[in-house]
Amino acid sequence: MARLYGLLWRLLLILVHVNRVFISWLRVRLRSWKDRLWERAMAALLLPVALAGFPGSDQKRLNHNPDANANPLTGNRTSSRRSRWLSDGRSLEKLPVHIGLLVTEEEPSYTDIANLVVWCMAVGISYVSVYDNHGIFRKNNSRLLEEIVRQQQDLLGIDGSKYSVEFLSNDIDKHQHHVVSCRPTVKVLSPEDGKQSIVQAAQQLCRSVENKERSSKDISVTMLDILLRESKNIPDPELVVKFGPVDSTLGFLPWHIRLTEFISLPSHRNVSYEDLLGALQRYSACQQRLGQ
Amino acid sequence: MSWIREGELNLLEKISANVLKAGPMPKHVAFIMDGNRRFARRNNMERQEGHMQGFNKLAETLRWCKHLNIQEVTVYAFSIENFKRTKDEVDGLMELAKQKFERLLEERDNLKKHGVCIRVLGDLNMLPLDLQKMIAKAVVTTRAHNKCFLNVCFAYTSRYEITNAVREMAWGVEQSLIKASDVSEALLSECLYSNNSPNPDLLIRTSGEVRLSDFLLWQTSHSCLVFQSVLWPEYSFWNLCEAILQYQLNYKSIQKARDLHREHQALLQLEADRACVAEHLQHHGNGKPADAQRRQEALLHYTACREERVQDFLRALKHKRDSFFNDLCSEAVLA
Repeated sequence: MARLYGLLWRLLLILVHVNRVFISWLRVRLRSWKDRLWERAMAALLLPVALAGFPGSDQKRLNHNPDANANPLTGNRTSSRRSRWLSDGRSLEKLPVHIGLLVTEEEPSYTDIANLVVWCMAVGISYVSVYDNHGIFRKNNSRLLEEIVRQQQDLLGIDGSKYSVEFLSNDIDKHQHHVVSCRPTVKVLSPEDGKQSIVQAAQQLCRSVENKERSSKDISVTMLDILLRESKNIPDPELVVKFGPVDSTLGFLPWHIRLTEFISLPSHRNVSYEDLLGALQRYSACQQRLGQ
Repeated sequence: MSWIREGELNLLEKISANVLKAGPMPKHVAFIMDGNRRFARRNNMERQEGHMQGFNKLAETLRWCKHLNIQEVTVYAFSIENFKRTKDEVDGLMELAKQKFERLLEERDNLKKHGVCIRVLGDLNMLPLDLQKMIAKAVVTTRAHNKCFLNVCFAYTSRYEITNAVREMAWGVEQSLIKASDVSEALLSECLYSNNSPNPDLLIRTSGEVRLSDFLLWQTSHSCLVFQSVLWPEYSFWNLCEAILQYQLNYKSIQKARDLHREHQALLQLEADRACVAEHLQHHGNGKPADAQRRQEALLHYTACREERVQDFLRALKHKRDSFFNDLCSEAVLA
């Protein structure tokens, strides 16, 4: 009997897996189908214009010199894209000030994460935290930074003054924390920033008790909270978008996620702007009652 | 309504339970029982009636958990933030709690038969004194039971719990039981209200909300989180099965993450011990460089001493906590 149940369990698990794969396949198909439909519609609309605009010899000239026209075109496209993203951000009822991107997949894709970071900045989010439980992004901090800068140029056009990235990383440069600016800030987190930072704060408080600077009774939630903010005025993340099949926070900042909304997306690979916008829209529809 | 529901599962439920049990099962499940008030509103009931139905659902869920071999359940009954609700509602909830703990004491034989141990996690000092006494009595009478465990989080938030753990460690430092350098992740876990339980394997939140609301933030950092849209009073056996299935799908990857975390933690502890030994040797070595063997011996010695200190401290802490309950309990008897 036990063996039969075991068999049935395996079967059930396989069914659920198949179901998941099928749904994610359907999503991708649906999206590409929608894109193609859009492309065709655009082509159909533009075709008469193209025919009227470049008859005969003109078209040949265009073919000879494609690069000349390419630059202003892409420049135009990036700026229109940028204004669309910004207006998307404004159209949402509420936007998180601080968003966490939690990657639970084993092999991270830097380009996709950089895309996500740039989109988050473009819609107007001030703080973006990137986390994975192996600490891979932390270890390859500079590679991620490079990738973000590249994607920034690609997606937004070069506009360094407005979107320059400021990296906050505990180990590397402490003094940078005092830089206060309205620029978007990217923070790369690893498990050490979670429980370990709480332990460090606890140790610090216990040391001051050891040195008779304060009594154990004085320790309060606010005191610990201030220590854990490390004098930066970064708010707790209001939203964490989790990528990948694992339904867990995997050690993401336990102290700071008290009121954080968790929204899952199946994978960060080939993630699209629409996926992120969908998550932001879901967040914008949530309302919190704060114990009430 | 009673805390313990008797009764078997029906045939279909039993088969499904057996199928699920062929896979890895969670040993400890935590619930955020959300949606009582929405349920009441939707069904044109009094708010208090919604809370009542919520409690009944808890008793039913405990029965399902027993049949699914889940030995430990933790529930979020009342948050410190809930004191912000209207006085009317807070009073109603306190009254409900009083009734239920009274009922629990009446059922003590049945609890003994099933081996149910009840623990209450939170700062009892925030509650009315008569409720405190009742809770203490329930906790003390069921303390020795060891078949299944129900942890009720009452006047609880996770940040408060963590802060309290830090306060306890600072108390240990004040009493010269431990040193500040002994503070570690493992020690902090031992000072939490939940120190007698393993971390939950699965956390379920009902009513479609997708946040933790200051519940077990520390303990669930490697738990499977399942958010379900059903309102708590409407929770069914099948909802529970669905959540367990999701846990089973996650089992391998979460286990891997847990192992990784454990390894990392052991490494950190070793590093911390090494740093303490190095400092010690520098102070007492009269400037002579220590050779590798001496350093290794010193490390072993230091580790043993630290562990002994920590054990002494934890014993003192346990004694302190036990006597808090015992005192409340004996006051209750006198009164």
